[in-house]
Amino acid sequence: MSTTNPQSDTQPDEGPRRSRWSRRPAEGSPAAAARARRRSKQRRRLANVAALMTGLVLTGALYSTLAPGAQAADEGSESSAEAAGRELYERSCISCHGENLEGVPNRGPSLIGVGEAAVYFQVHTGRMPLVRQEAQAPDKPAIFSDEEIDQLMAYVQANGGGPVLPSGDLRDGDLAAGGELFRLNCAQCHNFVGEGGALSSGKYAPSLEDANDLEIYAAMLSGPENMPIFGDNQLTPEEKRSIINYIQTITDMPDPGGAGIGRIGPVSEGLVIWVVGIAALLFGIFWMGSKA
Amino acid sequence: MARTATAPGAPKTLLGKAALEVDDRLIVAGPLRRTLNKVFPDHWSFLLGEIALYSFIILLLTGTYLTFFFQASMTEVAYDGSYAPLRGIDMSIAYASTLDISFDVRGGLLIRQMHHWAALLFMASIVCHMLRIFFTGAFRRPRETNWLIGVALLILGIFEGFAGYSMPDDLLSGTGLRIMSAIILSIPVIGTWAHWAVFGGDYVGELIVGRLYIAHVLIIPAIILGLIAVHLLILVKQKHTQFPGPGRTEHNVVGNRLFPTFAGKATGLLLVVFGVCAALGGLVQINPLWLWGPYNPAQVSSASQPDWYVMFLDGSTRLFPAWDIYLPGNYNIPALFWPTVVLPGIIFTLLLAYPMLERKLTGDTASHHLLQRPRDVPVRTSLGTMAISFYIVLLLSGANDVIADKFDISLNAMTWIGRIGLLIIPPIVYVLTYRICLGLQQHDREVLEHGIETGVIRRLPHGEFIEVHQPLGPVDEHGHGQLAYGGAPVPKKMNQVGGARRAIRGFFSPIEEPAAVELEQRGEDRGLAPAEPQRELTTSGRPAEGGRPSEGGRPSEGGRPQEPRD
Amino acid sequence: MTTHDTRPGSTGGADTPGPLHGGPDDDYTPEQLATLPREELDRLGARYDGVEVLHVEPGPEPGSALEKRAVRQVGLMFGLAGLSAFAFVVVYAGAGWFLPDWQWELGSNTFSVLYTPLLGLLMALAFTFFGVGLVLYTKKLLPHETAVQDKHDGSHFDRVTTGATLVGGLHNSGLKRRKLITRSLAFMGGGLGLMLVAPLGGLIKDPNEGDPLGTTEWAEGVRLVRDDGTPIRPGDQEPGSLETVFPAVPEGNRLSDAATMLIRLRPSQLEQATPRSGQEDFGYGDYVAYSKICTHAGCPVSLYEQETSRILCPCHQSQFDVTQGAKPVFGPATRSLPQLPLAVDDEGFFVARSDYIEAVGPTYWNRERI
Repeated sequence: MSTTNPQSDTQPDEGPRRSRWSRRPAEGSPAAAARARRRSKQRRRLANVAALMTGLVLTGALYSTLAPGAQAADEGSESSAEAAGRELYERSCISCHGENLEGVPNRGPSLIGVGEAAVYFQVHTGRMPLVRQEAQAPDKPAIFSDEEIDQLMAYVQANGGGPVLPSGDLRDGDLAAGGELFRLNCAQCHNFVGEGGALSSGKYAPSLEDANDLEIYAAMLSGPENMPIFGDNQLTPEEKRSIINYIQTITDMPDPGGAGIGRIGPVSEGLVIWVVGIAALLFGIFWMGSKA
Repeated sequence: MARTATAPGAPKTLLGKAALEVDDRLIVAGPLRRTLNKVFPDHWSFLLGEIALYSFIILLLTGTYLTFFFQASMTEVAYDGSYAPLRGIDMSIAYASTLDISFDVRGGLLIRQMHHWAALLFMASIVCHMLRIFFTGAFRRPRETNWLIGVALLILGIFEGFAGYSMPDDLLSGTGLRIMSAIILSIPVIGTWAHWAVFGGDYVGELIVGRLYIAHVLIIPAIILGLIAVHLLILVKQKHTQFPGPGRTEHNVVGNRLFPTFAGKATGLLLVVFGVCAALGGLVQINPLWLWGPYNPAQVSSASQPDWYVMFLDGSTRLFPAWDIYLPGNYNIPALFWPTVVLPGIIFTLLLAYPMLERKLTGDTASHHLLQRPRDVPVRTSLGTMAISFYIVLLLSGANDVIADKFDISLNAMTWIGRIGLLIIPPIVYVLTYRICLGLQQHDREVLEHGIETGVIRRLPHGEFIEVHQPLGPVDEHGHGQLAYGGAPVPKKMNQVGGARRAIRGFFSPIEEPAAVELEQRGEDRGLAPAEPQRELTTSGRPAEGGRPSEGGRPSEGGRPQEPRD
Repeated sequence: MTTHDTRPGSTGGADTPGPLHGGPDDDYTPEQLATLPREELDRLGARYDGVEVLHVEPGPEPGSALEKRAVRQVGLMFGLAGLSAFAFVVVYAGAGWFLPDWQWELGSNTFSVLYTPLLGLLMALAFTFFGVGLVLYTKKLLPHETAVQDKHDGSHFDRVTTGATLVGGLHNSGLKRRKLITRSLAFMGGGLGLMLVAPLGGLIKDPNEGDPLGTTEWAEGVRLVRDDGTPIRPGDQEPGSLETVFPAVPEGNRLSDAATMLIRLRPSQLEQATPRSGQEDFGYGDYVAYSKICTHAGCPVSLYEQETSRILCPCHQSQFDVTQGAKPVFGPATRSLPQLPLAVDDEGFFVARSDYIEAVGPTYWNRERI
């Protein structure tokens, strides 16, 4: 139950951002401009938070008995990580996901039962917190540090349970079998080699090129946004590891036949034959036709 | 022999004697001389068809090499080659042997990629060549036959390319084949029967790769080769068209003789085309089918497209609305039928019939060997650009999912942009082209009548400012030029009529000293050296050589402009 | 057709030229030709071919700086072409011998990744340098001549004489009069033509035999299995998931028309669900199963957006709504994806209740009649 994964990306500029974030979450993110416009809104929101804090504490005990029962192991005694996670949640997530993770209509879905896998995927890929409501949340540099993500995960996991992150070598699976599973289950949206592709009405399946093992695993477990869920009874953990092995092998693989031109097949090839092939030859015949 | 050797004119060199021996047996000296003496006009746009010819030669050579290794069989085997991510996967022998060409045949990947790039180039250069023929009116009588053959070659090229693309039985081409199967099924009345005949039963069967293979390596190439031969024979027989220009008439060809100039350049182009294909084949990866995986009817990838020359049909299929037509008796015509069978049928029929349609509509049944400038035939030019814009909308729609993904546009919006664009863009393009053609025509006439703008402003005694114009030829009493427009480019800048010193030679960098050129020009001015006699019979199609002698004399007669006038 | 008995191979003297011989060999005796310089001969031959050389701009002065420069350029090009070609051979043959191995494998050496690009580059350089050298040669070192060749329209004389020969042959054959021959010829031609195309009949097969287009391997009690053959229990999938399933028959996962999407709807989707009439009970609980084969062109659909309930086809972007019985809501598809009626057998695994009740895959002419 840890995010200290060998493959997890570390943002080079994570240090300074983290320290600023611990003071004020709105600053320094790539979306600072957008946030500035909504600063007054946030101030209001902070006031709401303060008011709701009381209510939260009061309803805390009642809530834990109402929530789905499986996770009630350390019920009542909130660990320090969960407390820190709650604090982060209340600062950055509560406006859309509600004070008790129950979701806010037309803003954000309920987080009860999504589990730490969903939290890891959404926050580690920078999709959450959301900058604005769009057809789809784009990935961007993660706003929270790995430690803060761990705390958020602990908080969400403690309040509703859900799929948990795996441990161990996530590429420990059969390469070729992973490829077959990838083509059957994933390629229809993410393209043959994980380049991503368009979905209906502005949505898209993102490229898997920069995704780390744990993010892919978490995405399969939690089915973020429009992606279907691939539970462990549908794709076993071994199969998931095979798929991850295939994706990472293919995306890291050099192209033996020269420049990959996006690895999307005929569209870029057609572009190249006109823009490079025909253009080069036109230049050639201009030159031949010109006089010495 | 002894007598021959001493006869007058008998060859003395070994080569000459050998040639004599050959000619004694084959009697080729006459035809050979006629061939070597054949005159070809020299214009860059006449080389576009040659690019197609040369890429076809590459296709034949590389294709033959590939047949040494490719096995057109759909029998399933477990892959056991060098490419680890597919090892142990069940696939057809066709796919496995293509993987072997790519990974286990030394240099095989290069040849395979060259073959595919040459195929794309073949189709692209055919299109370029065809556009040149269309916009210059080179298809007019007596060349309708060659136009028909050309369109037939284009269509055969599409089928040939599709067959080659589908043969390796990978997941991308298999998806294309699945669509082809649906297209055949969609044909009213005979659809299912045709499908059963082509595929040997229900999709996908065991036969189709073998049938595609024989079509791809024997039937279609043989027809293409035969048609190319006829195409060239007719070209030789009819002789090449040429742009109007000094000394060029309907009854001659001005240019270079085949040997050595034209042969040198053509061979050079052949080698450059080979070079471009080799460069693309080695440096740019094409159809990396090891990434696509073997075909499986239950699998698919996003962004599944055909090669570019079929993409316009994929585009039309994406744009066509969901209109099934139900007929009495519970028969129906599927929506797929219209954009994939009817539309290309109409497009290619119009393309084939265009020379005859134009002949009917314009009533111009004369033989033409001089080409037209696109601006002089605004209706045809506008129809052409309209057709191009229609085609481009279809082509881009064939890639609309990739465009939507890469440029963050909604996929549904792309579909609607294509649907609406297909209807409104072509007419707009027609009108715009028509206006542009008329504008260019008018400007030509204006320059002929009033002369070239010199940029020299003169103030008249009464204070009026006027720009001095340089007439191109003799003027009448009103100072209006008497030159008629002859279909050739009209010079529009002073240095095109020798108003400036001639251009420094050299394509990439100057190969002569500007000072020396200036000196030489001054010498010419003073009559020390003649200014290139007969310069009007130069062969380049560049606009610097305007005017026609038959229309009243070359503007730069004597090397200098005539007296400027107001 | 030699007109002189002095040529080798002639027996000498016996071959007297007939009265119809003529042409250049009569106009110019070998003696006359022998006196002409080479340029004259060239022009003379060209004139016989209707070609007039109007103007020759001679190549660069022999020994001039311009010529030396051009010769150097052309020589350099040919030299580089040769060098590239030899380098190609060295790389091609040397790989795995004195160079690293060429075979590309996962994680193998850099050389094997660069092998094909290197070969392509060297081959391209060899061809291009050769070609450029040749063009430079033509442009800079050869004299530039401007020639004019006459273009003749068809000759009236040829037409008339050829026509006479053809008509004469036809007349002599008497086909116009000998009706029996023309009729039997036509009869024979028809028969032979048919005979020659008749073997193509081997291609024709009856597509309506056993209704292969309208039926699949699904049938009552056939289990839904995954690609690896394992059966599926209703508890196996999460809400908001999709799994591709196949009929539990031999090679079921290779069938082109049997692939089926087993979808477990989320509770909110289930609330909105409006199945097609008559198919309300085809689902099982929150599970529904639709054919994966697109009703438009047969591509496997399955780009499932679980939030918007849409299934997108990657080939032509038809979109189907799973909560409305997989009705097409966008794009060129006209028909809903056929739905597979589901049940659970005694052992708790999903089975089909029957085959699809309509034809799966693309529409065809008589689909509705079967």
